[in-house]
Amino acid sequence: MSKRRNWFCGSEEHRISRRGFLGTAAATAGSMSALNLLREPCLAAELKKQDKRVILLWLAGGASQLETWDPKPGRSTGGPFAAIPTSVPGIHISELMPKMARRMEDTAIIRSLNTKDGSHGGGARMMHLGRRDEAAVKYPDLGAVLARELGSADSRVPDNVSFYTATEGRGSAVGQAGFLGARYLPMSLTTNSKPDNLARLDSISDLDHQQRHELRELLSNRFIEYRDSSSLRSHNEAYSRVRGLMSSDKLFDVSEEPQSIRDLYGPSLFAEQCLIARRLVEAGTPFVKVSRAWWDSHGQNFETHLELVSELDHVMSTLLDDLKQRGLLENTMVITLSEFGRTPKINASLGRDHFASAWSCSLSGCGINGGTVYGATDEDGQTVKDGEVDAGDLFATIYQALGIDPHTEYHVGSRPIPLVHEKASVVTDVLA
Amino acid sequence: MARPRALLMRFVYFTLAIASMVLNVPSAIHGSELLPEDQSIAEVVDHYISARLKQERIDAAPPANDANVLRRTTLDLVGRIPTSSETASYVNDKDEYKRRNLIDRLIGSPAFVRHQVNEFDALLMPDEKNRLREYLLAAFTENRPWDQMFREMMLGQADDPEQKGALQFVKARVGDTDRLTNDVSVTFFGVNVSCAQCHDHPDVYEWSQDRFYGMKSFFNRTFDNGGLLGEHEYGLVSYQTTEGEARKAQLMFLTGAILEEPEVAEPDDKTKKEEKEKLEELKKQKQAPPAPSFSRREQLVEIALKSGENDYFAKAIVNKLWNRFFGYGLVMPLDQMHPENPASHPELLEWLSRDLVAHNYDLSRLVRGIVSSEAYCRSSVWKGSSRPHPDTFAVGSVRPLTPYQYATLLRVATANPDSQSADQKPEDVEARLASLENAARGIAGEIEYPGPEFQVGVAEALFFSNSERVRNDLLRDSNDMLIGKLKKTDDVNELISVATMSIWNRLPDPEEEAALVAYLQSRSDRRDEAIGQMVWAMLTSSECRFNY
Repeated sequence: MSKRRNWFCGSEEHRISRRGFLGTAAATAGSMSALNLLREPCLAAELKKQDKRVILLWLAGGASQLETWDPKPGRSTGGPFAAIPTSVPGIHISELMPKMARRMEDTAIIRSLNTKDGSHGGGARMMHLGRRDEAAVKYPDLGAVLARELGSADSRVPDNVSFYTATEGRGSAVGQAGFLGARYLPMSLTTNSKPDNLARLDSISDLDHQQRHELRELLSNRFIEYRDSSSLRSHNEAYSRVRGLMSSDKLFDVSEEPQSIRDLYGPSLFAEQCLIARRLVEAGTPFVKVSRAWWDSHGQNFETHLELVSELDHVMSTLLDDLKQRGLLENTMVITLSEFGRTPKINASLGRDHFASAWSCSLSGCGINGGTVYGATDEDGQTVKDGEVDAGDLFATIYQALGIDPHTEYHVGSRPIPLVHEKASVVTDVLA
Repeated sequence: MARPRALLMRFVYFTLAIASMVLNVPSAIHGSELLPEDQSIAEVVDHYISARLKQERIDAAPPANDANVLRRTTLDLVGRIPTSSETASYVNDKDEYKRRNLIDRLIGSPAFVRHQVNEFDALLMPDEKNRLREYLLAAFTENRPWDQMFREMMLGQADDPEQKGALQFVKARVGDTDRLTNDVSVTFFGVNVSCAQCHDHPDVYEWSQDRFYGMKSFFNRTFDNGGLLGEHEYGLVSYQTTEGEARKAQLMFLTGAILEEPEVAEPDDKTKKEEKEKLEELKKQKQAPPAPSFSRREQLVEIALKSGENDYFAKAIVNKLWNRFFGYGLVMPLDQMHPENPASHPELLEWLSRDLVAHNYDLSRLVRGIVSSEAYCRSSVWKGSSRPHPDTFAVGSVRPLTPYQYATLLRVATANPDSQSADQKPEDVEARLASLENAARGIAGEIEYPGPEFQVGVAEALFFSNSERVRNDLLRDSNDMLIGKLKKTDDVNELISVATMSIWNRLPDPEEEAALVAYLQSRSDRRDEAIGQMVWAMLTSSECRFNY
């Protein structure tokens, strides 16, 4: 095993200068003793990764790479859809994605994922955590890590939001903050596009609601004064964010957007949630996951994909356009990912089954070298022929693109826990 | 043990790797140097804790006051806060044995069993929902010894109604042998060998890949056959070392002890096919597969509980219970009980685990001993300059409540105190408290279970700030609720006393009282609402969210 990296500069000065730098946020950040125990990022890195955002389009159930990013036209595994050229010479994608084909310059495709776990539960967890679950350590998922790394402690907007309004597959793609703690759990939207408990009840006036909070704080501060525990302060911090978060209520309201923009996205729920995701990242939310279900096409794969890929193509291209127009794409990464891909072999029900050994994902925007394809599968799409990438490599690449050194470590008590699994390496070819 | 064994078993014997065993016992203290066995647990706890404080010249925090000790002990033993009348009568009690009486009363109550079930269900099945509750309820009701519970969880007989539920521990994990291996190691032995899955542990010499795969070998033959556990007669674990060498794992316990076992050949395809057909048939009949002539899982139980090898087993549960009552283990992290990570008080851990084994793994006895100590009763307030490290246990801990504890607290605190007053018959009060505990399950489901380095999330704060449920369940102003009573209390100071005694188990200090009086008086135009807001602020204050 390689020698542990020393992530902490080590000096007390570093601690102080960092707080000084953070200014008003410092009091809060400094008091989060449990977090300081975990990790103290260096100042340069702190600067570098400011304002980075991620929108994850989670294609729940397992989208087919053959009908999206890695078509095999003319082969027995290829299915009925053709491949079309894109705005980047030499790159072809499925004809179901004509809009994305015209906008490949900001997007990189990875065609060589081999993640080995072809079960919905295990695959979904692996593609959320970037590694296999371990019994004794609860790892944080991508959203929790990014909320921790990219968010600020006293943010007035939510720093981890997860839309999963379909029922299929939700159980295996739930947010997990693991050892980072509930502070970084997503605000989960599971029934509609507005979060629970964000709006004040009518039975209390706004003034009383605020003053009730102030009374609570006064009482708590007296209790805290001479006491200490790793989680005590987080309790008050959670409450101190409530009023701020309540004012972000409007971010979740698409009717606040001009009709022209809403028309561009279209009327589907997935489209509306992507528009809300854009509103959130624009307001400073570092991580939003928008889940679209259900891609599990064991039967009628081609009808399913005709419908779902067409929607994805439209919404994803609109989202990228919108982000770009607002100058947000430079610091916002858009990822499409599933728990696995689908078998090249077409089964008797004209479906494709679970397939984790040679599939694709895409990365666009922030830190990404657009217009590239990394890795390749063989001519039938059965195996990875070139540039095999596992979940850890993918996560390392995402972190690197966002300015987070993937080989830093968290410390839980005395135990060092690397951000990605030890053997993971960054796919530098897709980085800008 | 009732489990039938084949003749073959007679020829099987343990070979202990003596040298490595001695090295691997987590502490090198020898029994003869420890305090005598017949001393009380509480005395021994205080002796060793004080000895270290003295040695490091740390002045411990003073004892917490009566009301605080009552609250802490009640939360820890029965999972709720005391009622205001319990608080008043305890504080006024002049009996010199009142604390002992309190502990006896709490441990003797059915709520103690229910709370143990909650705690152990969370310990054993952290990711599952209530899967062991039924078994645990039966086991804790009769205070079943911990070694017996372990045996039943590993080897319970599917046809024995009492043991059937225990098997859920293995069943829930049997689909992933690595996880089963890890979970058993962490839960029962306080040892996390998972890093050794891929490579020898860099810091802990003894934790080699052999150790992980040795542990895994105890489980690799176990399988699920239509919801019933079976164990094959054959099957080896092989792995590749970091140097690329392929190895077959030996049946090896965490101490390094290697168990010899009959050699078995891998059956041919025909035999395997026959076995499969037979299993399919049993599945249809919903019958358990036959027990193997040599059970590897059974070997684990034997070795883990064998005198000289049972240190890990006894120490792990002592450490976990200690952590539960002190907010910090004698060994931290709890799953790192290895030779390179000594206990803060090695003799104490040694003595307590020896005592546990000598007293038939009686967990209630251990719990009673720990909470009877003076160390357990220290104030959590520290006004000195530098706060002593938590591993000195010089200051009382501040621990986040579990979802059940917090939700039950909220229910007990917001119930009309007259319904649980000293005038009521004790059994009526008990029944009323049990029903409040039951009603708490809904809100408990909204709260996250606290793990190490737990941080309260904003979802919880939003829930308590804005949910309809909190308003309806806790802030209703009907007659059975605290708010209903407060509404009818005209004197503002009395109103505040009733509220703080119900919610905080104490009277307000002058500054708090002034703040609360001012809050209510400035809202005299909407008094009822203001009372609700005051109660909300008290319920959501940190004092209510933590055990301190």
